[in-house]
Amino acid sequence: LMQNRHILSPATIAPPKVVLHNQFHESINCSGSIIRCTLAKIPESNSLLQKSRLPLGIVIHPFRDVNSLPVIQCVNIVRCRLCRTYINPFVYFVDSKMWKCNLCYRVNELPEDFQFDPATKTYGDVTRRPEVRSSTIEFIAPSEYMLRPPQPAMYLFLFDVSIIAQQSGYLETACSVLNRHLDEMPGDARTQVGFLCYDSFVHFYSMAEGLNQPHEMTLLDIDDPFLPRPDSLLVNLKECKELVRDLLKQLPKRFAHTHDPGSALGAALQVAFKLMQASGGRITVFQSCLPNKGPGALEAREDPNNRSAKDVAHLNPATDFYKRFALECSGYQIAVDLFLMNQQYSDMATISGVSKHSGGCVHHFPLFQKTKQHMVDSFKQCFKRYLTRKIGFEAVMRLRCTRGLQVHTFHGNFFVRSTDLLSLPNVNPDAGYGMQISYEESLTDVKTICFQAALLYTNSEGERRIRVHTICLPVTASLPEVMHSADSEAIIGLLSKMAVDRSTASNLSDARDAFINATIDVFNAFKIAQNLPSGQSGQLIAPRSLALLPLYILALLKHPAFRVGTSTRLDDRVFAMDSMKTLPLDQLMKYIYPELYKIDALVYHVRNSNISLTQDEDYDDDELLPEMQRLQLSAEHLDSRSIFLMDCGTLIMLYVGLNVPTDVLEALLGIRSTAELPDYVYGLPNVVSAESDALKRFMLRLNYDKPYPPLVQIIRQA
Amino acid sequence: MTTYEEFIQQNEDRDGVRLTWNVWPSSRIDASRLVVPLACLYQPIKERPDLPPIQYEPVLCTRSNCRAILNPLCQVDYRAKLWVCNFCFQRNPFPPQYAAISEQHQPAELIPGFSTIEYTIARAATMPPVFIFLVDTCMDEEELDALKDSLQMSLSLLPPNALVGLITFGKMIQVHELGADGCSKSYVFRGTKDLTAKQVHDMLGIGRGGVAPTPHQQQPGQPGQMPNAPGVGGAGQHLPPAHRFLQPISQCDTALGDLLSELQRDPWPVPQGKRYLRSTGAALSIAVGLLECTYPNTGGRIMTFVGGPCSQGPGQVVDDELKHPIRSHHDIHKDNAKYMKKAIKHYDALALRAATNGHGIDIYSCALDQTGLMEMKQLCNSTGGHMVMGDSFNSSLFKQTFQRVFARDSRNDLKMAFNATLEVKCSRELKISGGIGSCVSLNVKSPSVSDVEIGMGNTVQWKLCTFNPSSTVAFFFEVVNQHAAPIPQGGRGCIQFITQYQHPSGQRRIRVTTLARNWADANTNVQHISAGFDQEAAAVLMARMVVYRAETDEGPDILRWVDRQLIRLCQKFGEYSKDDPNSFRLSPTFSLFPQFMYHLRRSQFLQVFNNSPDETTFYRHMLMREDLTQSLIMIQPILYSYSFNGPPEPVLLDTASIQADRILLMDTFFQILIYHGETIAQWRALKYQDMPEYENFKQLLQAPVDDAQEILQTRFPMPRYIDTEHGGSQARFLLSKVNPSQTHNNMYAYGQDGGAPVLTDDVSLQLFMEHLKKLAVSSTT
Ligand SMILES: [Zn+2]
Ligand SMILES: [Zn+2]
Repeated sequence: LMQNRHILSPATIAPPKVVLHNQFHESINCSGSIIRCTLAKIPESNSLLQKSRLPLGIVIHPFRDVNSLPVIQCVNIVRCRLCRTYINPFVYFVDSKMWKCNLCYRVNELPEDFQFDPATKTYGDVTRRPEVRSSTIEFIAPSEYMLRPPQPAMYLFLFDVSIIAQQSGYLETACSVLNRHLDEMPGDARTQVGFLCYDSFVHFYSMAEGLNQPHEMTLLDIDDPFLPRPDSLLVNLKECKELVRDLLKQLPKRFAHTHDPGSALGAALQVAFKLMQASGGRITVFQSCLPNKGPGALEAREDPNNRSAKDVAHLNPATDFYKRFALECSGYQIAVDLFLMNQQYSDMATISGVSKHSGGCVHHFPLFQKTKQHMVDSFKQCFKRYLTRKIGFEAVMRLRCTRGLQVHTFHGNFFVRSTDLLSLPNVNPDAGYGMQISYEESLTDVKTICFQAALLYTNSEGERRIRVHTICLPVTASLPEVMHSADSEAIIGLLSKMAVDRSTASNLSDARDAFINATIDVFNAFKIAQNLPSGQSGQLIAPRSLALLPLYILALLKHPAFRVGTSTRLDDRVFAMDSMKTLPLDQLMKYIYPELYKIDALVYHVRNSNISLTQDEDYDDDELLPEMQRLQLSAEHLDSRSIFLMDCGTLIMLYVGLNVPTDVLEALLGIRSTAELPDYVYGLPNVVSAESDALKRFMLRLNYDKPYPPLVQIIRQA
Repeated sequence: MTTYEEFIQQNEDRDGVRLTWNVWPSSRIDASRLVVPLACLYQPIKERPDLPPIQYEPVLCTRSNCRAILNPLCQVDYRAKLWVCNFCFQRNPFPPQYAAISEQHQPAELIPGFSTIEYTIARAATMPPVFIFLVDTCMDEEELDALKDSLQMSLSLLPPNALVGLITFGKMIQVHELGADGCSKSYVFRGTKDLTAKQVHDMLGIGRGGVAPTPHQQQPGQPGQMPNAPGVGGAGQHLPPAHRFLQPISQCDTALGDLLSELQRDPWPVPQGKRYLRSTGAALSIAVGLLECTYPNTGGRIMTFVGGPCSQGPGQVVDDELKHPIRSHHDIHKDNAKYMKKAIKHYDALALRAATNGHGIDIYSCALDQTGLMEMKQLCNSTGGHMVMGDSFNSSLFKQTFQRVFARDSRNDLKMAFNATLEVKCSRELKISGGIGSCVSLNVKSPSVSDVEIGMGNTVQWKLCTFNPSSTVAFFFEVVNQHAAPIPQGGRGCIQFITQYQHPSGQRRIRVTTLARNWADANTNVQHISAGFDQEAAAVLMARMVVYRAETDEGPDILRWVDRQLIRLCQKFGEYSKDDPNSFRLSPTFSLFPQFMYHLRRSQFLQVFNNSPDETTFYRHMLMREDLTQSLIMIQPILYSYSFNGPPEPVLLDTASIQADRILLMDTFFQILIYHGETIAQWRALKYQDMPEYENFKQLLQAPVDDAQEILQTRFPMPRYIDTEHGGSQARFLLSKVNPSQTHNNMYAYGQDGGAPVLTDDVSLQLFMEHLKKLAVSSTT
């Protein structure tokens, strides 16, 4: 393995195939983009698992945007009477009237209407039912799935308007994006919105009936915050759209001359809670500095001179104020999302608690400046996606597993309400979760096991829905099989989450050591599994499935989340750790180990195939694009005659060599010499050429699964 | 020689002064035997359109503990250019600018006609008055709309340079920013929390360390680019820090008009069986604090509009349970008014703060039930603010009254004065016992302060935060001259009133009134003294003393004290043979006085149980500020009778005046009542007035209505107008006022002679007089 310097497979890495020896089941098993298990074959016992030294767990992306999701409305949602598992493709039909639960093995009766096929108006063949034909399915829930009438979409925005916020200028961008996409925010006619600003005080905006303009009400007593009025602070978006637009236009101006260094985040949150308490919903916080006033005020903890130290202090919250607040929110179906647009240390470790425990999400735009167009663009893209993406309200997610297995640790942003139930006041399509699985008993008698994730939520139209994903995995008794079926990406996904926990529970060095030890252990285990002699020097033998593990581990050790010795701002590190916990696997992998391509191939492909520009529209992307060779992230691959593209997920970098031929430069970048490139260039220049077009198409393909298009940066070889 | 009556009238017209005694007893002992103290009613800015505009400063006596102002009573040595102070006899040189004076060329202040004169101090900065509207929003739409209309209207009545501000309150309190562009803005306070001035100050960012930056705090890199930014940045450059909240009406009338028109009812839901949660006490505290830290010692008034009682927070007078009624006199008597003491303490403290800073507080209370005027009274009483009590903001009573607050004088200035200091100086034979009126003591000690305190004493200066031409203060004096040190023949005692105030135009002005009266030896010349008795002034001054006492200690002791004073006065000045009541006679100068006292005893000022505590407070408030004429009407209402037999004539306030073929017009100051006698009422019911042949009846009906209108048009506050008739339910207002000469107790004894009997156990004036005579002539008392 050490000799092989080109271990990356040419294309994107496919997860190990789940082989179930059942054609039907294999074809309909849950997509790897939704659920991935660290092991494509489940060891039959804990002791076998221990021998493999591999972690067992799943990473899940339950609310991912999916095309062609079967949605069904039925009188009875068929579930196991014992364990409440939803009927799924992997159950066993005893006969036409009975089904056996694949999680607890209870035999259940099938309700009569389940056998009715509305298409053919006949009874009998249950296999046509979408519940049986699809491992990802969504039910429209009847009223027994509601504790109260489903809530309308409720959006409350909190803007930090302290002097630091004003200097960053984010508010202008945020308000203009909001204004532009108001109509695209998910919701129905009942959708309500509200806005709060805060500096040393909290500013409310009343948009009461009969007002010609919004009315700002400032609360000065932030130590004892209260609502200035019982109504009109959250208003019906449809009815008050003009006032809302008016307000969004005015807000940046109102605070354009502020000199208030205060930021009373805690008080603003407390009143926001009072506003949202009755309904539940989403609170979006824009914070640009350390909250320094009123409840939840914090003090700077980071020592800037110590950013490259071997161990890192203050990864844990300074106060439990934000966590307690989040838990209270969670109880009232309120999630808090955080956009940290900080200019200086803002104690992400503490304030992100507000999102972590309430099922929210965190976005980070350090050193945001409205004068830096690339930052503005990047934020705009992200915020637009945030505003317009799907949202699920008052959600809970339960993960069930086949008898013998159980979830023992959850990763992600939520509150664990009971052993297998996560409370998610909001759920969004860009959030991933991880679960570590342990054995309750061995699985010697079973061929397959299943995990079923059921997400019960209210959609933005006020409909109660249940999205169910079921994955089925074979069980094996063979250690080599276990090791060959390892899914190194999923393993990295899980290990990175575990490392974050280790960093906060213990310390960063422990987490780093654990990475290394885990790798060594796995390879030792493999040696033992293969009965290889120990102590052979200079050789490291790994199964193909685990070949990339050391590379990824190394990347993790160099990642801002876990690196030492390199100056890393504490907030950046904490955000990176938070991302490890919450990014869905596909994005997480790009975040940990970006994809590098040499785009020469693209240029030559275009030149060799005589495609005229006018025809482009009619062609499928893939037909126009060559197979692109993915490169290992190593300087040895770089050369001065080529242009390279690195996809980091939220950033795509183009690296232009010093000696790139002029015609290529002209065709792609509209310049004649690499030297013409300034130090900082963002965005692809608008050049009309087949080459440029191909590059754009290639990027489109890279971005296909991303929540929003990344920023493009062009750098020249030094 | 003019009569005393003419003399008194001239003095009142010229100086706004009415004295109990116009000839003064020359010794302490004699004075104390006169029963009615030497006292006066003084109107500090009585309207005098004829006064010359004097643009220089007054000349002061150079003696440091005197500082009296040069006046027509001073002896002047024109050759030596000296003047002799008539208070301390200091010889003072005239200042250089008086070098040209001669007997032919006198400055105005030496001309006898100008015993009252007014100086305008040019060097003092002019300061426009400040008006804060403090508006309760806990009322129904109709009420609030009516109030908003009145407020809008008032904007056009204010001088354009007047500073205005708006604070609204309900469950919360909102301090509104003016002229915030595009988005109105207010600061919200919890109604349950009392804030100190400093807290208000800090929170609103007025001054150091608050929200509003000063230009010095600007960040480098953005030099001076704060042109009156909306919202937080509003306090740039030359504007005062409070500019966001208080602006000249000329600059903010549109913004304020918009704010007022968008003003909404308190949005908090009021559950069934509950009252509004109304934070009057905390709101007042913020208003007082705002004015205190922005315009201390500058004329200003907080115009408070309340539609109900304060039901939470500091100053709470009732809770929000409708089933718990607001305290009555009975509850107070039984010490069963749970919130009263604490509330009074709150408002008294606020009143003192406002008064200290020269700010007036008006309360316009419009509600069917009480609103807590009783607890809040010192806000008005101490600061000179108006107290107006009505049923509805949608009534003409309120609307007209409020409009009259902004009445203008012949020079088109508001009839309002602000932030005054009234100083009293007197001859060394006199000392000052105290003052009673809508003012507070400034606690300025002087050798002129008497040990005997009447009203607010121990000072020679009082503060009047806001007042108008009819505002009247009572002052009480003690003659301290010892009997053994007789005053030289022809000597006169002097009193000087010096009122420094802020004129509505913003000018600083000083009004000086100097008066002198002859001394007389009571042993040898008691007839001179009694001839100079002003029984009307004495009645009003007695009423003020009594009510002032009643405010501090309730109960029958007060009535007993009135009785004792009256008896002693009758003993002293009546002519009678001992123990022979029938021989008792009073000279015309005294003859009306017992009758005034009789009506005072049974007036709403002293008989509280038929009124609510708020009503009592309101009545007493008016008595303590109005001039003599109005006060007399309050004490003894005026009754006119209209008949076919001639022009309307004043008649006795007596049941005997109630005749079937008469129309009565009663003016009690607070009410204007027209009462149609039985026959008249029948004719009216038969619509005779609509028949051409009974044109004279129509005229008869119209006459009192026209006369009533005239009073209604001019009086402040506008009286309640009652039109009733024989047997009408509202006739009780008349019946409660008239002397019950015929009641069910005595009517059979007197037989029927056409009058209407009154069902009352009150003693009649006749019985009262008989009793008085008996006691006065008794040798045992
Ligand atoms: Zn089951
Ligand atoms: Zn003197």
